[in-house]
Amino acid sequence: MVTSTATQTVPRTGATAAPAEANLTYQPHVDICDRGSEVTLVADVPGAQADAIDVSFEDGVLSLRATVPPRELAGRPLRQEFGIGDYRRSFRLGEDFDASQITAEYRRGVLTIHVPRLPAVRPRKIEVRG
Amino acid sequence: MQTYRAGFALPLEELRDELDRLWGTLSAAPPLHGWGIRPDGGVFPAVNIHESDAAVTIEAELPGLDVGDVDISVTGDELVLKGSRPDGNAGPGGNGETKPAVTWHRRERGTGAFERHITLPVAVDSGRVEASLVNGVLTVTCPKAPEAQPHKVQVRTA
Repeated sequence: MVTSTATQTVPRTGATAAPAEANLTYQPHVDICDRGSEVTLVADVPGAQADAIDVSFEDGVLSLRATVPPRELAGRPLRQEFGIGDYRRSFRLGEDFDASQITAEYRRGVLTIHVPRLPAVRPRKIEVRG
Repeated sequence: MQTYRAGFALPLEELRDELDRLWGTLSAAPPLHGWGIRPDGGVFPAVNIHESDAAVTIEAELPGLDVGDVDISVTGDELVLKGSRPDGNAGPGGNGETKPAVTWHRRERGTGAFERHITLPVAVDSGRVEASLVNGVLTVTCPKAPEAQPHKVQVRTA
């Protein structure tokens, strides 16, 4: 489980202080689904290292960054249709969200982030008296 | 699939999102991987193939899939990758319950069935093919058939 607080990024265990930016960085495909009480983001980040995924929410912007360790297949390359690199993407969600309640999970190469809305701004059904 | 954009107030924000996405599409190289929008016309999944003296290794990205969701078969020099990703993203449900209404702000991850036939450079030993699927990355190792492996030839001196 990866969790985040309002303005800090999740600390990485064992990572170096200044990671080298030698890899290409990719934008993962993301689905964003609004369920009223929360917004759910689902990102395809295959090959990411589970303990090196950062999710942060600051000033209404949700950012994700997943580190993908390099992997080399044995032998010489015959065909290269995709590259391997870190994933990074940000979305402006707005200020109505409860940053302290954001949760995230990483499973089978898919990162799911739950961003709950603050209780006061959740949609409420209003009874119409007739 | 419809994409609803409710809730993202300023048109400028939408424009910036679109430009970010367009820029990402142009600047990320090699081509985008994954289901959904594929500029090269829809071959999925993208694969990387390497060849060593002993084996041919194929790698593909299949996020969200588990070993049971993908079907790999090898015949002679052809490898077939088949499977599907279910659309489980629309919220809780199944068992015939009505799912609560959701609004999609963005829908980039595709779902559905895929099938790809890959012709390998050499014949492989189909009985010894191994595959693993870890964190959405599928790696298939196909040991070469004995007749396809390099053989040292002794040069006889007269």
